[in-house]
Amino acid sequence: MNILMDKEIIYLEDVSFRYGDVQAIDHVSLKLEPGIYGLLGPNGAGKTTLMKILLGFLRPQNGKGVILGHDLALQHKQIRAGIGYMPESDCLIPGMDAVSLTSYLGQLSGMPRQESIKRAHDVLYYVGLEESRYRQAETYSSGMKQRLKLAQALVHDPRLLLLDEPTSGMDPGGRREMLELIKDISRKGTMNIIISSHLLPDIETTCQQVLIMNRGRIVAQERIHGLNREQFNSFEVQITGNLESFLRELREHDCLMEENEKGYYRIRLPLTMTARFLFQTAYRIKAQIRYFKKSQSTLEDAFMKAIGEDG
Amino acid sequence: MTIREKGYANWEGETTASPFRWLPIFLTGVRSVFRKKFSKLLFSLTISPFLVFLIAIYVTTKPELKILAGLIKQLKSDAMIFQSFYTNEFLVFMLVVVSIFSGADLISADLRFKALPLYFSRPLSKADYLAGKMTVILFYLLLFTLIPGLLLLVFKIVFTGRMAVSFSLLAAIAIFPIIVALFFGSLTLALSILSANSKLIKILIFLVYIFSDNIARVLKNIFHNDLFYLFSIPKNVYQLGAFLFRTGEKWNYPPGYSALLMAVLTLVFISLLYQKIRKAEASA
Repeated sequence: MNILMDKEIIYLEDVSFRYGDVQAIDHVSLKLEPGIYGLLGPNGAGKTTLMKILLGFLRPQNGKGVILGHDLALQHKQIRAGIGYMPESDCLIPGMDAVSLTSYLGQLSGMPRQESIKRAHDVLYYVGLEESRYRQAETYSSGMKQRLKLAQALVHDPRLLLLDEPTSGMDPGGRREMLELIKDISRKGTMNIIISSHLLPDIETTCQQVLIMNRGRIVAQERIHGLNREQFNSFEVQITGNLESFLRELREHDCLMEENEKGYYRIRLPLTMTARFLFQTAYRIKAQIRYFKKSQSTLEDAFMKAIGEDG
Repeated sequence: MTIREKGYANWEGETTASPFRWLPIFLTGVRSVFRKKFSKLLFSLTISPFLVFLIAIYVTTKPELKILAGLIKQLKSDAMIFQSFYTNEFLVFMLVVVSIFSGADLISADLRFKALPLYFSRPLSKADYLAGKMTVILFYLLLFTLIPGLLLLVFKIVFTGRMAVSFSLLAAIAIFPIIVALFFGSLTLALSILSANSKLIKILIFLVYIFSDNIARVLKNIFHNDLFYLFSIPKNVYQLGAFLFRTGEKWNYPPGYSALLMAVLTLVFISLLYQKIRKAEASA
């Protein structure tokens, strides 16, 4: 079934997977065109299971799919040849330095030995491990292991890069660099990327589109740039006076609220309501709005809306 | 300009879909075993029966050496010489040690360092992965059985100056080490996949070897039936030799039973390995 329209890198139709009684993936249908995607969802939403299905680690009990033009059920090797996978767990091959490990995995992907060694040096330099590339991988810090995992995923220059929690265990500087690397790879435009992360800012800064999963289903697929205008009217306010009544009143009108560390409230009004509603409510119940600022709708809004609508 | 300064650079080459995807696993495994501490000492010890039998073969071709007449009488046929070489207790014991040394941590270390997702995200099947690991053990076991066996044959021809080798002897010399290597290789890997603790696996393999023989002896003594020797790994290896070299059974049951048992056990171990690796891939 080497048939798929060239435009789509991933096509899933009605794919389901169960672990015993638990429905991990529930009739997922998906069409992804080339690009960089974020995969979001609460714990147990099915993100990792979906990645394992894409890699052929798990066989779906229902449905069909085509990845990079190859049949999901029959052509695992061809699919994997085109994928670079950066697992979430701290994994490495024992007894090897970074060059040997990266080159070894390149050879397992079908690269000639000499080419794989040369390319290993290049990608290790690219991810910032040039100084320590001859050190045993077991001695690396968790941030360095993350970089090494990215290097091994890039060594054979795959068409599709699957990154599972790429900034996990990294310090802020390392995290920023990792996100820069991902953005740089995507800028080149030759590689499609799917990032699974629970860190919304990571997805927001690197991805063009986001897929939100909940209870084994894709509950939303949105363009990141479109999020600013579509979800809510969001405001940041400081309230004094009759705070409890003010919040209760908003809750009754299906508004979402959360308090930040400064004691301000982030209030999300449904799109049908404007700021005027906030001032009218405050006036009616004798509360005072001491600070008011319109804030941009974010990925977090989209995430909350999608999960909320899904129940 | 370096890759980092100019941004991400694509690789211009082409990957190939070789049927020998497991070859890098084999080559890397062989190298890493050879680099281990004490590998040279272990290999020197394991090769020592070859040197002893080389001398024995030389002696059997020189009837004028009356001082060694007893030994010549014992090694009365070519089949007996090769069977004695392959099934001598020291060599069989060293093969177990070589299996432990080369194979006990082949899969368990991958489990300990969670390396399986790195392997299985490559275009490798479960069979490729297992073939890569298995061939590492087979390489070292055959290095100390098949290669010395063939060399002994060559030296025998050189010493006697005659090409008098029957096909059945040649087949037995080639097949015996392959069956034994497959048996020890599959047993080692089947145990290696049970735990991420390599030390535990090493002890387990050793205990299986020692206890199989001790239990067989105890049961044989209690029930006075030689068939209980089928529980013993070293005795089954001996009987396999007796079966292939047709030197007659040492104990009171057909040596073919041992050959059949070893073949069946090898298939069972491989099948268990395959099932375990399937589960490991799903949970990778």
